[in-house]
Amino acid sequence: MKSLTIRNLSKTYFDPYAGKHVTAVHDVSLQVDEGEFVSIVGPSGCGKTTILNMIAGFIPVTGGEILVGGRPVKGPGPDRGVVFQSFALFPWRTVLDNVAFGPKMRGIARAERERIAYEYLALAKLTEAAGRYPNELSGSMQQRVGVVRALANEPDVLLMDEPFASVDAQTRMTLQEELTRIWQEKRPTVIFITHDVGEAVFLANRVVVLSKGRLLEEIGVDLPRPRSWDVLNENDAFKAHTGRVLQLVRSA
Amino acid sequence: MTPLQRAWGAYVRLTARWPAIASIIPFVPLIVLWWAVVELGVFPRVFLPGPADVARSFADLVYKGILPEYLQDSVVRLGVGAFWGIALGIPLGILIGISQRAHTVLWPLLLFFQAIGDIAWLPILVIWFGYGLVTMTFVIVYTVIFPVVLNTVLGVRSIPIAMHRAALSLGASRARILWEVVLPGALPNIVTGLRNGLGYGWRALIAAEIIVGTSGIGFLMFDARRAGSVVEILLGMIILGILWYIVDSWILAPIERATGQRWGLVTR
Repeated sequence: MKSLTIRNLSKTYFDPYAGKHVTAVHDVSLQVDEGEFVSIVGPSGCGKTTILNMIAGFIPVTGGEILVGGRPVKGPGPDRGVVFQSFALFPWRTVLDNVAFGPKMRGIARAERERIAYEYLALAKLTEAAGRYPNELSGSMQQRVGVVRALANEPDVLLMDEPFASVDAQTRMTLQEELTRIWQEKRPTVIFITHDVGEAVFLANRVVVLSKGRLLEEIGVDLPRPRSWDVLNENDAFKAHTGRVLQLVRSA
Repeated sequence: MTPLQRAWGAYVRLTARWPAIASIIPFVPLIVLWWAVVELGVFPRVFLPGPADVARSFADLVYKGILPEYLQDSVVRLGVGAFWGIALGIPLGILIGISQRAHTVLWPLLLFFQAIGDIAWLPILVIWFGYGLVTMTFVIVYTVIFPVVLNTVLGVRSIPIAMHRAALSLGASRARILWEVVLPGALPNIVTGLRNGLGYGWRALIAAEIIVGTSGIGFLMFDARRAGSVVEILLGMIILGILWYIVDSWILAPIERATGQRWGLVTR
């Protein structure tokens, strides 16, 4: 696990429909320490997914720089694991082979990479599903696979792009609790994109509020761990944090 | 439950136990109708022979060894043509699908040559290569390749971008992505292309055999016309249908079940 540094990051692109240049991200700077969990929250179109795509190396930056462990980002790479909103599991591979995909690309022999995959599947209570194909699983199980597939490749930074947005509300709470548990066990550096204020506060050490491509405010969240919804729903500090973030997002 | 529903239920249970029956029973009413029309003497017997006449002709041609030889010739021609059509079509389709430059250069050519139908090549092919395997292979390759290429391109292009990104951020090189993402992602469409391609190829082969053939099922039918033997023409037509049924249910359908349907990319 490594730290992530974003310096004066901007992104402008040409919108062929509007016929002009649009600024999606404007002069954003952010320091994420090793093993820290940072949520980036903001309304639709605030540029949060654009930032994640630049960190992942999927799209080029217009200005500024991104450093992972001090090294500049050039294109996508296995040092930054990504969990997608659409899951993006390989439908033609079993759950086991999906999770073992990263280690396979690193040239790890079959027996060893399957051992790694089983270890991570156990972490998300997915051992039973190892031999099944993604389309045979529920949405929440597919995203559990998505999370452990990224983790099994032991990235320096884990990037999560609204991963639980398409899961029903009750299941989402379970997945959030599971994610905090897995984070505590493995302590990856995480950037978590969401528009759900409660989710952002529940998961993170720090919440970054974004508005119209600019960084509006950073709020430290020093709630006790392990976190569970049963406890935090009654917690005044949690309510105060979510209230504050919600206020910022709504004013944005 | 009406008696009809009960009968249908019994039929479904029967075919579940013996799937082969499901491929035969739908033809029974057709054969009965054919037989009835012939027996009623609606048409003269030389114009429309009955099922029994065709069966007798089948036995006769098998006994003489003509039918097995012709059948083998046709199937080998289709096999050789299909092999080259697939071997050239899939890589070409993948190239056009992943490379914008290849698409820009090759797409207009593809559309141009697609318009010149397989049979339209026969006159010049006969002059260049004569009446032989080369001419017929060319026609079949030509027919098979377009559906394979076009469907492969479609398949490659319909792979979600997130799938490429996932593979890249898991450490896959561009070359590995070709094998790990592009090929399996496009496979359901490739199989559709194969199905269309082989179907067209089969028809093109029969047409080629009728025009330039010296053997094969198409030649059998054309030769029968010359001899005025309607019974052999009908036999040839029935063989064409049965052969395609076999290719579909023994080769194409199992591939589809094992890939696109298994992965949930194609609905059953």
